Amino acid sequence: MIEIGAGIVAWAGASLVVLGDGRRGLALGVAIAGLGLGALAWLDAGPAAAAAVAAGGMVAAAARLLNGQPGWRVMPAGSTPRLVLCVTVALVGLWIGFAVTTGPGGGTRFAALTLLVLAPARILWSEDPAALLTATGVLALAMGVAAAAGGVTADIWAYVAAGLLASAVAWLPPRTPRAA
Amino acid sequence: MPPEEIEVLVFVAAALIFALVLTAPATPPRAMLLRGGVGLAGAAAVVTVPTFELALFVVLALGVLQAYIGGARSFALRLRPVATAVAMIAIALLLVRAQGPEVLDRLAAAGLAAGLAAAVGLLPFIHVFEADEDVASSPLAWLGYLGPVLAVVFVARTQGVLDGAAWAAFGAILIGLGVLNVAWGGVAAWLATDDAAAWRYSFIADWGLALCGFGLTVADGRRATLVVLFGIAVCRLPLYLVWRQAKPQKSPTDRPVNLVVAAALAGSAPFAGFAARILLLRGATQLFWPIALVLALGMLLWLPGSLRLGRSVGVPRGRQAFGVAVVLVLNAVVGLYPLPLLAAAHL
Repeated sequence: MIEIGAGIVAWAGASLVVLGDGRRGLALGVAIAGLGLGALAWLDAGPAAAAAVAAGGMVAAAARLLNGQPGWRVMPAGSTPRLVLCVTVALVGLWIGFAVTTGPGGGTRFAALTLLVLAPARILWSEDPAALLTATGVLALAMGVAAAAGGVTADIWAYVAAGLLASAVAWLPPRTPRAA
Repeated sequence: MPPEEIEVLVFVAAALIFALVLTAPATPPRAMLLRGGVGLAGAAAVVTVPTFELALFVVLALGVLQAYIGGARSFALRLRPVATAVAMIAIALLLVRAQGPEVLDRLAAAGLAAGLAAAVGLLPFIHVFEADEDVASSPLAWLGYLGPVLAVVFVARTQGVLDGAAWAAFGAILIGLGVLNVAWGGVAAWLATDDAAAWRYSFIADWGLALCGFGLTVADGRRATLVVLFGIAVCRLPLYLVWRQAKPQKSPTDRPVNLVVAAALAGSAPFAGFAARILLLRGATQLFWPIALVLALGMLLWLPGSLRLGRSVGVPRGRQAFGVAVVLVLNAVVGLYPLPLLAAAHL
């Protein structure tokens, strides 16, 4: 049950990243996703992996609070398609994670699958650098946890790389394209 | 480290040295060295890290860095292809490792092939292209510089995770993607309205051959791929850099050097592309001869596009002329006697 709960928490965090445009919404989303994925990493690979993932999420959240559009801006006008995406991805993720695939680690499979879809979807959907970098951080964290999905014991380095990458990209200041 | 991967890394390093020594780019040499060096270090990291997942992290980091160095395209446009590619491959790895029906392995094979195409910037996932963008921040950095290393590493690691039937499916998908890229790239390099786009599509056409070589899953296919990747990094990319400097002249020329450059780009004898094509046709014949027929027809598409690109290079002078001569000689040597290149990669 803990695994399923952690998976749902991670999905909720990623959904907040998809639905939010403001810095507070994005920061809260990546923090929640980091906590959920950290709990899954604990179950799959122990406390060191959990610490790496959760710390990555927290550092990314802290960095996001410092730049990006002000406020929460969660579910602004016109975000219905994003909400539909989040719910659909969750349902398909539950089906694949618990029904199509079998064996232990269903929660990890669900979380990894949903986040590996939601984070790139946010990147494809957005032009705002803050949202793009936050989604990239979520993608990195999901990749770290996905390494342990399917009952494969991942080495700690995948989690460390995920945490480092998530925290590093969040600190990049926004850039605008220059004319050719 | 597998010798094939090290060898492709050497090709890429050679391309960087060529760019630094034998061209006079608009970018300051120090910035070019920094960007090229970071790319080369990233490619070396992709080769050396012990797991597929860690290689994906390196690719994502490279994608973020490349998106961040600036350019004519927006940050989002440059980040999207790499993020999509990495996510597709990560999902595919998750599916292949999960217990479940056999169809999951085939879906994973499709995801891995699609992810590879998206990372390199091949059809149906070509990156948005701006003609005037610096090479380091443009899709050409993936097509000509990082792509060869990524492809060799990804295919080798994919072989380690897919079982027999899924591996065969992966090969078939690569051949399908390869033929698509050969046809589209060949026609577009010929008919594209501007030369910059024609050069980009010519890379894509070459990549079509490389994908077919990977997909054939016979020794001759891997040999052909290695020679094609040599051609991309040590022939097409350097000549593209020469063209970028000839561009202000805006006057296509019909000197003998243009014909020779066109021959090298088209894969005519005695250049490396010819050896690659022979190996590819031999491998295809071993596997299923109609593939060889399709590939042979596709190879004819190189001719008009290469003549156009050869003329666009103009008449190189000074350092550039020396650079073009070095590229042509190296390609002729490998074309005439590819055995040392293949033996070094244990192929």
